[in-house]
Amino acid sequence: MRPPVLSSTPPPDFLSPQQEARAFGRARNRTLATLLRQTFAHSRFRVTLVVVLTSLLWGGMFWMFTDGFWFLESMITQPDTHAQAVGGVFGAFFAALMLMLIFSSGIILYGSLFRSREIAFLLTIPARTERVFLHKFQEAIVLSSWGFVLLGSPILLAYGVVSASPWYYYVLLLPFIVAFVYIPVSIGAIICLFVVHRVPDNRLTVLVGGLVLLAVGGAWIAWGLLTGPRNDLLTPDWFQEILGRLRFSDYRLLPSWWLSTGLLDAASGAWSESILFFSLMISNALFFRQLALWQAGRTYRAAYSGLYGKTMRRKRSRPMRFDRLLSWLLGPLPAAMRLMVIKDLRLFRRDPLQWSQFLIFTGFLVIYFFHIPRFTYGVSSITWVNMVSFLNLSVVGLLFSTFTTRFIYPMISLEGRRFWMLGLLGVPRQTILWSKFFFAAGGAIVPCSGLVLVSDLMLGVSNLIVISHQLTCLVLCLGLAGIAVGLGAWLPNFRDDSPSRIAAGFGGTLTLVVSTLYILIVVLLTALPTHFYLVAEYANLGGNIQGQTGVQWWLGFWLVAGIAASLILGAIATLVPLRIGFRALQRMEF
Amino acid sequence: MIEFDNVTRTYARKVAVDGLTLKVLPGELCALLGPNGAGKTTTIKMLTGLLRPTAGSVRVCGYDLASDVRRATHAIGYVPEEPFLYDKLSGREFLEFAAEMRGLDRSTVNDRIRRECRYFELDDFIDDLTETYSHGMKQRLVFASAMLHDPPVLVIDEPMVGLDPRSVRMVKDRLRKLAAAGTIVFMSTHTLAIAEEIAQRIGIMDHGRLHFLGTVGQLQSELASSHTSLEPLFLELTAGNNGRLRKGMDCKLEIE
Repeated sequence: MRPPVLSSTPPPDFLSPQQEARAFGRARNRTLATLLRQTFAHSRFRVTLVVVLTSLLWGGMFWMFTDGFWFLESMITQPDTHAQAVGGVFGAFFAALMLMLIFSSGIILYGSLFRSREIAFLLTIPARTERVFLHKFQEAIVLSSWGFVLLGSPILLAYGVVSASPWYYYVLLLPFIVAFVYIPVSIGAIICLFVVHRVPDNRLTVLVGGLVLLAVGGAWIAWGLLTGPRNDLLTPDWFQEILGRLRFSDYRLLPSWWLSTGLLDAASGAWSESILFFSLMISNALFFRQLALWQAGRTYRAAYSGLYGKTMRRKRSRPMRFDRLLSWLLGPLPAAMRLMVIKDLRLFRRDPLQWSQFLIFTGFLVIYFFHIPRFTYGVSSITWVNMVSFLNLSVVGLLFSTFTTRFIYPMISLEGRRFWMLGLLGVPRQTILWSKFFFAAGGAIVPCSGLVLVSDLMLGVSNLIVISHQLTCLVLCLGLAGIAVGLGAWLPNFRDDSPSRIAAGFGGTLTLVVSTLYILIVVLLTALPTHFYLVAEYANLGGNIQGQTGVQWWLGFWLVAGIAASLILGAIATLVPLRIGFRALQRMEF
Repeated sequence: MIEFDNVTRTYARKVAVDGLTLKVLPGELCALLGPNGAGKTTTIKMLTGLLRPTAGSVRVCGYDLASDVRRATHAIGYVPEEPFLYDKLSGREFLEFAAEMRGLDRSTVNDRIRRECRYFELDDFIDDLTETYSHGMKQRLVFASAMLHDPPVLVIDEPMVGLDPRSVRMVKDRLRKLAAAGTIVFMSTHTLAIAEEIAQRIGIMDHGRLHFLGTVGQLQSELASSHTSLEPLFLELTAGNNGRLRKGMDCKLEIE
């Protein structure tokens, strides 16, 4: 029996759900307004950079999709087949996005509902549990929607332009997208709450299992599409074959099918059918949102309480053979530097957030290289093969630059909080930077050179190209590591403790931009002369430009000069940022 | 009233709090002491509704924290060890949010904010963004936010961390006044001197169990010790292999 309530305690004057929503909304709006004001006042360069790069990305995608839809229209003159083809493309695209949204929103909500410090505050104030959940759910919707808008809007607008859609197609785009996003985010939330409440001990297994399933499913579909018939490429039979393989997205109960069909109806002028699908989406969005809310009201607090003990369990580390092997391999380095490299590797290895993102990046790289043979399409043209080989080199460089920006640039910022310890060890500060540099460059050279070598062998390029690529790859790895470590020390961020937030800041953005420019210049310096030299040699063998040895000499000179210039640029990109970093670190006070 | 009724909380196989039974009455200032890992923070988290007991029940002003968490948390003002503030809100905006969530009307909110600003000397920085505050400033702001709605129960986890001597005096005086006015003040601390100075009752936990509850004088007679201050008594009770608890000494408790 409940004991009587003390008479001195006044009955609680609770807020109504609407008042609660307004109070949360006001706090969020104030936070957002301050954030925007600060960003525009102090980070104009960063904002400009982000806007320009995003616009370029958006514009590039819009151009690519417009071209693609024109191409489809010119290739498939039969209206039914054309409609099927576009429906297949839309359906597959939205089905893939839906799966990704379920996963990403589940992970986002796990972080914000169970691991954030804000939640520990919100759960101690007399707010409804459902309101606390909704507060985080709405954040997840916004975080998920903007990616969808960025990726989905170019394809949808491009289709509207190419198919000369009526005005209401454009009006319906945003409501359709928002209604659609609610469904996977709600499903992600339901799964997240269920897993943490029911199987908190196995939450990581569920996540990894889901990701593996997703990866296997994606790879199976990609494999099916990429191993299609080669000889009758782009013929009506080929289109039918590909459409057959996209049929999985045609399932009538998939929200992605409702979205693609509703939008295609709007584009073709069938507005009443489109509104019907829109109503279906809205009702399902509200249903799933309500289901998630109901589940949160019943299980969220219990799940939070249950998880608490699991996350604070002590973990024991065991010495690994790998560390001993690494210590032996790094033997020639000074002891302090060797210990710091091993320490950085241990910290990285024991942070699942770090290595899971690392694995995702690596996965993209492997998928890309797995499909290199497809790029040749049986074309024996030396110019095409060379172009693809240099493209591969650029891709490796660009991916390594995202690695250095995401993982290497934040290292000094993260070190800052424990710098008192390193500072008191009496290790020269330069040693700290050198250890980060060796960690980055040493860890990159072997896999990057290996990937480039494999791609060259798959493409069957000449020995000259292979040697040129290996040299360029070395220059790229050293330069990119130097840029990330140097700028990391020059522009550290000691306020944040999250590596991804540090990387997303101004210094990280600058590192990415400088790295991208560096890659483009180095690759162009070596790619252009090598390409022309080989074309000339190829033509010479065919007897086309016999007697023009002068041209060949100049091309040879250009080749040597280009390689020399890239070596000089590599040395500058490695040493100058490191020097700037050394000076900055020397001046730094902790 | 705060009531822990045979409360146990486990983390997998580890028992963080073991069969805790405790009542704290209105107007009482009770300090919970204990070595690291004794179960103090888990006790506080169960009292504020963040964690649920594995067994037993926790009630505040008669409301069960598991089944009636809103009413219970409405009766509590909570000052955590590591205060959370919204970086991009000013101190005033944060206090407005906290007060609004407690159902205070606009004019009362303004009056209470003025009152707390005056008491905790927040006026100089109350309109600055909280991201610019020092730890002590944050702690004072969180004290102010916990007291805005005049809660009948004040729960404090490590009250003096990061506070300068003047602020420590300010907080101690306020806690005494609140207790004198009928508020329950329940705090967990490692600062034995503070507990000795202001607490009417002291609870000592170790390995999840409450081994002593009473005044310093009662502890002295329990241990039959010649020491009169809390520190040697606490160490005698808990420290190392020589501690009485480790030797299996059975402290006879008179709870309530």
